[in-house]
Amino acid sequence: MSSRFGLDELFVVELARTVRNAEVIFHGFGSPCATVAMHLAKRTHAPHALLIEGATYAVNPSPAFIPPSSNDHSLKRGSAYSMRFEEAFDMSIRGDVDLMFLSGIQIDPHGNTNVTAVGGMPQPKVKLGGGGGGCNMSATIGRLTLWTTNHRSGRCLVEECDFITDIGHRTPEGTRAELGYPGGGPEVLVTELGVFDYPEGRARLRKLFPDVTLANVTAATGFEFAVAPDLAPVETPSRDQIDLVRAIDPLNVRRREFRPAELERTFSL
Amino acid sequence: MAVHLAPDKLTDLATAVAMVRPGSMVALGGGLSARLPMALVRGLIRAGTGDLHVVGSAHSIDVDLLAAAGAISVCEQSYVGYEQDHGLAPAFRRAAQEGLLEARESCCDTVLTQLRAAEMGLSFLPVHGVKGTDIEGLHPEYSRVTCPFTGHEYVAVPPLAPDAALVHAPIGDRQGNLHIEQPYVLDERFAMASAMTIATVDRIVSADEVSAAGIVVPYYRVAAVVEAPFGAHPSSCYPGYAYDRAHLASWVAAARTAEGAQDYLDRYVTGVDEDGYRRLVGSDRLEHLTGYRASDRAWMELFR
Repeated sequence: MSSRFGLDELFVVELARTVRNAEVIFHGFGSPCATVAMHLAKRTHAPHALLIEGATYAVNPSPAFIPPSSNDHSLKRGSAYSMRFEEAFDMSIRGDVDLMFLSGIQIDPHGNTNVTAVGGMPQPKVKLGGGGGGCNMSATIGRLTLWTTNHRSGRCLVEECDFITDIGHRTPEGTRAELGYPGGGPEVLVTELGVFDYPEGRARLRKLFPDVTLANVTAATGFEFAVAPDLAPVETPSRDQIDLVRAIDPLNVRRREFRPAELERTFSL
Repeated sequence: MAVHLAPDKLTDLATAVAMVRPGSMVALGGGLSARLPMALVRGLIRAGTGDLHVVGSAHSIDVDLLAAAGAISVCEQSYVGYEQDHGLAPAFRRAAQEGLLEARESCCDTVLTQLRAAEMGLSFLPVHGVKGTDIEGLHPEYSRVTCPFTGHEYVAVPPLAPDAALVHAPIGDRQGNLHIEQPYVLDERFAMASAMTIATVDRIVSADEVSAAGIVVPYYRVAAVVEAPFGAHPSSCYPGYAYDRAHLASWVAAARTAEGAQDYLDRYVTGVDEDGYRRLVGSDRLEHLTGYRASDRAWMELFR
């Protein structure tokens, strides 16, 4: 293979880095990058993860490809057991799922996300698809990896969400502790520009993609954010990781999450 | 929640659809690209059944078509759209933005909890999340409840008992026993919590065959069963057929305008019956969707 790789591949590797070994991991639907990242983690540093596959709820499958819809049966390949819908949700709500991937059309500095409506309800400017299981699961799952591929637009990372679908570290009604939520909330936010963490429950810039400057991130971000003293570039992946991303996702479904200009960004091994 | 004990419930689509009255609360089975009860959805649109309160989990063209036809007054799902592939649901989005329907967005787990309350005959159950989100504000029927043991305040949700659950299964028998393959999504819960289940099946088979495959929805929850080959198209109904990605794309493209959506409805729904629908889609195309079995590569190529 060539020694170059794309932003989409590096992005998925960075998402996969948020998975730890021997934990229970889940993503909802409409999440191609998160799907690929979970399988990448499972095949590299997290072989003992219990992977609950998308909206099929199949346990530890090894699909031959990632289909464009997350409850297609092709995702169940190689899985000896599928959870019922009820089991997957009960497990999440009682706190037995360690990590969930979650995205947002708007994301505020506390990690609250909006996937319900731009312009708010009941008179939305844009009615979005909706939050699936997020408004309960974000309260109780151990930790959340947030992601967006739309940071540069300036419309995603905003001071205040028009509507809060899923819980971050604090909503107008209080902190997670005050709301009585056992889950740890957002731990990491990966965007196509950089990576944030949440010390004190507020987004802080930790890493930059290699072709991005701090000024680029500041220009695209609608809220003030702290910068980690050890701000670093996103680590270069291994050739094996890049090969695996391509093998897991031969239909390049992950690339559908990115604007065309972002897909022109390439890097060297 | 009545039980349905007639020995033979096999009927035709129009008769089954007529059991759903205007203004009913209707649960839609399946989810996203899988096992949507599309023949029943098309039947409801042909019958002009309107003012529906539609409930479900994560949905796509089923809700989108009903919204395009103006058949929905309240939409209570956790999601309506085509994921990253084709994006937002154009007709649903338009109707919500223009105030033609109330998008009373919910959460998969809340809907599940409300169905369980109905099944258990309870007047409420608590959910662990929702509090602090704006989803709560869309639901004046929710309340708050304090746990008598811990003092923790939960959001309390009322039971959800739909008038009818619409479900599509690959096989079923004349009495109404249904076999489906996982993911069952909420179909079992809908069948148990609703006053009646109306089912379409790709094939009516013997009671022995359903029993051998495994009964997922038992006959006594089912009030009517209709044989509707490819009745989930353009969604999938495994082990029969994969979903028709190109057809979904053509609907989404057409529905970008209200006129385009109406043209689709005229052509594929109100202008034909289900036989006519299958002829329009084409037997070659439908056969092609069954070809996923040949190999992983054949399966993958269906989605390229």
